[in-house]
Amino acid sequence: MASDPIALELFKNALLSAADDMALTIFRTTYSGVLRDNMDYSTALFDSEGALAAQGLTLPAHLGSMPTAMAAILETFEGNINEGDVFILNDPFKGGMHLPDIFVFKPIFFEGRLLAYAATVCHHTDVGGRVPGSNASDSTEIYQEGLRIPPIKMFEGGRRNETLFSLIETNVRVPVKVFGDLRAQLAASTIAERSLIDLARHYGPDEVSLLMRELILYAERMTRAAIRELPDGVYSFRDHIDDDGIDEGRPIPLVVTITKKDDHMRVDWTGSSPQVKGAINNTLSFTKSASYCAVRSLLPANIPNNDGVFRAIEVVAPPGTIANCVLPAACAARGLTGFRMVDCVFGALAKMAPDKVFASSDGGNTCITIGGWDASRRPFIYVDFTCSAWGGRPDKDGLDGNSNIFANMASQSVEVTETEQPLEILAYEFIEDAMGPGKYRGGAPFRRDYRFLGEEAILQVRSDRRAFRPYGLYGGAPGRPSMNALTRDGERRLLPTKFAMTIRRGDVFRHEVAGAGGWGDPLERDPERVLGDVKAGIVSKERARADYGVVLSVEPLAVDAAASAALREEMRRRRNWPEVPEVSWERQALAAE
Amino acid sequence: MAAFRVGVDIGGTFTDIAFLGEDGRRLTKKVSSTVGDYAQAIVEGLSEVMRDARIAPSEIVEILHGTTVASNAILERKGAMTGLITTRGFRDVLEIRTLRMPRLYDLSWEKPAPLVPRELRLEVDERINAAGEVVRPLAEAEVEEALERLLRQGVEAVAVAFLHSYSNPAHEERVKTLARRIAPRLVLSLSSEVLPEIKEYERTSTTVINAYVRPIVETYLSRLEAALKEIGIAAPLLLMQSNGGLMTAKAAALAPIHIIESGPAAGVVGARAVAQASGVSHAISFDMGGTTAKASLIEDGELTRAIEIAVGGGVMVGSRLLSGAGYTLKVPAIDLAEIGAGGGSILWIDTGGALQIGPQSAGASPGPVAYDRGGSEPTLTDAAIALGYLNPRHLVGGALKLNAEKAKSVIAERIAAPLGMSLEEAAMGAYKIAASNMIRALKAVSSERGRDPRRYALVAFGGSGPLFAAALAEVLGLRRILIPPSAGVFSSFGLLYSDVEYHLSKSRKALLKMLDSAELEGLLGALESEARRRLAEDGFTAEKMQILRSASLHYQGQSFELEVPLEAGVLDRATLARLEEAFGREHETTYGHRAGAEEPVELVTVKVIGRGVSEVPRSAAAGMAAPAPSIGIAQSCRAAYFGPEKGWLSARVVTRGDLKEPLQGPGIVEEYDSTTLIPPGATARLDPVGAIRIALEARNTTIG
Repeated sequence: MASDPIALELFKNALLSAADDMALTIFRTTYSGVLRDNMDYSTALFDSEGALAAQGLTLPAHLGSMPTAMAAILETFEGNINEGDVFILNDPFKGGMHLPDIFVFKPIFFEGRLLAYAATVCHHTDVGGRVPGSNASDSTEIYQEGLRIPPIKMFEGGRRNETLFSLIETNVRVPVKVFGDLRAQLAASTIAERSLIDLARHYGPDEVSLLMRELILYAERMTRAAIRELPDGVYSFRDHIDDDGIDEGRPIPLVVTITKKDDHMRVDWTGSSPQVKGAINNTLSFTKSASYCAVRSLLPANIPNNDGVFRAIEVVAPPGTIANCVLPAACAARGLTGFRMVDCVFGALAKMAPDKVFASSDGGNTCITIGGWDASRRPFIYVDFTCSAWGGRPDKDGLDGNSNIFANMASQSVEVTETEQPLEILAYEFIEDAMGPGKYRGGAPFRRDYRFLGEEAILQVRSDRRAFRPYGLYGGAPGRPSMNALTRDGERRLLPTKFAMTIRRGDVFRHEVAGAGGWGDPLERDPERVLGDVKAGIVSKERARADYGVVLSVEPLAVDAAASAALREEMRRRRNWPEVPEVSWERQALAAE
Repeated sequence: MAAFRVGVDIGGTFTDIAFLGEDGRRLTKKVSSTVGDYAQAIVEGLSEVMRDARIAPSEIVEILHGTTVASNAILERKGAMTGLITTRGFRDVLEIRTLRMPRLYDLSWEKPAPLVPRELRLEVDERINAAGEVVRPLAEAEVEEALERLLRQGVEAVAVAFLHSYSNPAHEERVKTLARRIAPRLVLSLSSEVLPEIKEYERTSTTVINAYVRPIVETYLSRLEAALKEIGIAAPLLLMQSNGGLMTAKAAALAPIHIIESGPAAGVVGARAVAQASGVSHAISFDMGGTTAKASLIEDGELTRAIEIAVGGGVMVGSRLLSGAGYTLKVPAIDLAEIGAGGGSILWIDTGGALQIGPQSAGASPGPVAYDRGGSEPTLTDAAIALGYLNPRHLVGGALKLNAEKAKSVIAERIAAPLGMSLEEAAMGAYKIAASNMIRALKAVSSERGRDPRRYALVAFGGSGPLFAAALAEVLGLRRILIPPSAGVFSSFGLLYSDVEYHLSKSRKALLKMLDSAELEGLLGALESEARRRLAEDGFTAEKMQILRSASLHYQGQSFELEVPLEAGVLDRATLARLEEAFGREHETTYGHRAGAEEPVELVTVKVIGRGVSEVPRSAAAGMAAPAPSIGIAQSCRAAYFGPEKGWLSARVVTRGDLKEPLQGPGIVEEYDSTTLIPPGATARLDPVGAIRIALEARNTTIG
């Protein structure tokens, strides 16, 4: 219990406000589209010991990454941290996550004493390496992925490290953008410094340190109180990534075991795949982020995101696995693995708290890149991350057309894309019959059709959830797999989930996001809601009958209650479930025809 | 015979009416809103004031109106049944939105249901590209079929939003022609008319909102005008826009998207008028009522505006970074930050043992425990009573009886005991935490924009604003507070200090260094003529028109712009160079850094505001100086608690009129519609325009 709960609450507001100020500065001034649209950055304040006290509200995928980077700085510079220093790093094997994410730490001093650290991490537009954007999923070792920056000082005693800046300038494709975003990170640190110094003047530096510690204890108390409410036990779940795009067709297992006892939770990734050749390996810090994100969704919203939360949730993964990679693993496209881990943890949590967790969402971002050179030899590059559907929930349908819970990204405007890129987008619409049926159905995914208007370009796609579909829960069925296709000269052909190929003028590429899984027995869905989906054109009359046992009359379109009841009875008898299936990976054979 | 200007502000519960005579007479009236037919309460209220004060209908020269009719239609989903026609392949743009959600880690998040359900969103074959060229002609037969299908379904309004129609409106205009033939009376909104700007989601959403509320607003305004005529009032009816300017009823009926956030805007406009009259050019407007608090920034006497709002998005979660709530409306609006903290906000203790305020509110019913109407949860108002700040027996001049003992015991039991504190410490904690929550709203409009709040005066109003002003100012390091006259019904007064305005803009992306100044001059000239045309239509002569020009700029590659005013006069290379420099300075002020001179600055949008200066003077000083109506409180003293250091002190209880003589805090000003707290060490006095001016002790740190 805090010595003074009122003072603590006031201090909490002040500190969160400072972290938000930092986040806003970066958001409004950034040059990076990934950063703006995916909010792919975070801000944080650490106490003088390096414990995370407050984090700005931005990207769930960063929740666990900051402390690891902070620890790397402290380990490297212990005894050598002085006023006017600023630290930088991006090396995944020394505190980072993947190379585009550059961390900046600024120690904050008050009257000559270390008071706190301001920290920011931003996804930068480019950090060199094989491909523009430094984001390739088919790199096989870190050395192909770009400039590795170990923990070093970017400013020392207020003096800029010119060697570092010229090294960055020489190694990245768009130094103006990278320097612009670094400037934003520095400005955010300065804003934090100002706020903290004001707080120290008001409260006194000792009290600030004390209150930061109290705030961490407060979060820990709330986290533990919430965890205590959940049932004790050991809960496992296994999900898969289709493949890594290098060893095509070889599934990559992810296994999580959650042990929950009293007010503590352990999330263990032992049993998951060894690290893979493709660039989808996670650092332990990113595995932590994915684990925290799912668990955090079961905890009250008002718990501050700080060390206190992490103290109650232990995350472990053996080194050399996809969940905790070691040199020389490539990891630029590890986002995919993060999304799948979130699905996996939710699967385990669903067994612990069936009334709180949704069925599998669409699997997270598909990344589509189209790049090349235009007629006047200027480069163009279009990068789109896209996702759409949430799994059905224990009390309501999954969301249609919404960002994944791990990312909260925004879509790009079709009109802006067409203005800036040699592309025409032909469709951006929900797909009929693609969501997993359930008492509460999965969310509807969408499709996008891109027609290429230039001479020639390289199309790269990183998608998943084709072999292993978004699972359904408690009788709900899985969603429809994702799909890629290319139409050239009137002929359409299917493409794999992960590939790079040359496209020509007039080619049309189609991507369909996977449908989300359903929750609960589809035969228990309110027939009127099925009718609503048919009217809206996202469920066909045929599937209404085959998946939900709902018979519709034609003019006017309405539920035939008697025929539906009879059909449902018949379907129940025929499928003969001994018990409601907990998890479904395949659509049950329900067809009434 | 005196000329009166009348402000009418409709809220969910009350309709506030303010009369301001050219002779300085000021009359106010509060009547219950008549939901269903708001015009009825307005006409009754006006009639009563005119009868009581013996004012003839012909003496009313202007009616200025703020209304929640349009926003309520959206919040309650009671707008017209609306259809949408889009380019083939894009009918789901409206529902997919931007994908983003306003809350993280929230598995129960629900997207707001689209205002047009999928079965009423129809597609037709057509395509125009980014350059404005027709790629596929409009399939007219499909348009006719779609219109007929929608009409069969019973739609009252149709929105049309084709891709790239901002660059070539031909196809949308053709739909209009076809629709006129099939259904001449159908309400039709074209995206190329409503918002001719790039970005299909924002344009579609804004156009749909326009169509959705238009039938309701049209009916409402024509009914109101008829009802006014019936009682003999022939004065022009002007509506408050979300951007703080006024527009004629005729213009509002065609483009109701501009009056959606009409209510909160009036208060800010009033705050600006009070600030100006008191000689203050930088101010923070702070409006706190029973359930929410709203803050906005006034700089150099100008309102600050946002380019987009989320209607029905609810109060902000603490950070304005998270978007995706409510319905996107891309029109210029006064930039307001809102949080869920008001007098009715409920106090509770979370699982970590910390005291929390709101966002749940006891509202007006059952209301705070002290109202004795069945409320059982302790509220901020109950805490203010326990601290001695509010009159323990009654509010609203005796109209509302209070039970102070009940308020104290609920705070003692539910808050003080679990926290192990005394009653007054717990109540003081609630008061301070509420203030610190509100400070996040104030900071959202000030320091988040790089503005140091200490340079600003706080203009506080609304039922609870004057009670919290001192605590906010102290924590933020503000030195001056202004409590305008009739603070509790202040929004209706705000209406009296606005002008007719048209905000026009045009997208033009170009590097400033490459831009032809003649081309820019041409763009601005076209916008200016359009603004002048509209003002002339409203009856303004050329000498009564004011034109303000600005440009939105960013460093090439950035996604957000900063708005910088453009100099008057002919543009040339030198003006553009100065514009570039002004942008750099603004970037530095707002974000704390700027790029080097070599970094290219890009123009994104040019904007023109056309302002029609009224014949009737809108000087803020006019009318404010009139003495506040007294509610007959004799001067007395009451014990009030000011924290552990100062403890319980005897505060003088006075009326506004008593402040002609400066009062040294602690003091409490009790009025019919609000209560103002003057903390120890502060000095309060009435200024020449009738506002209470509170000067606080100097402090130099900013916390919060």
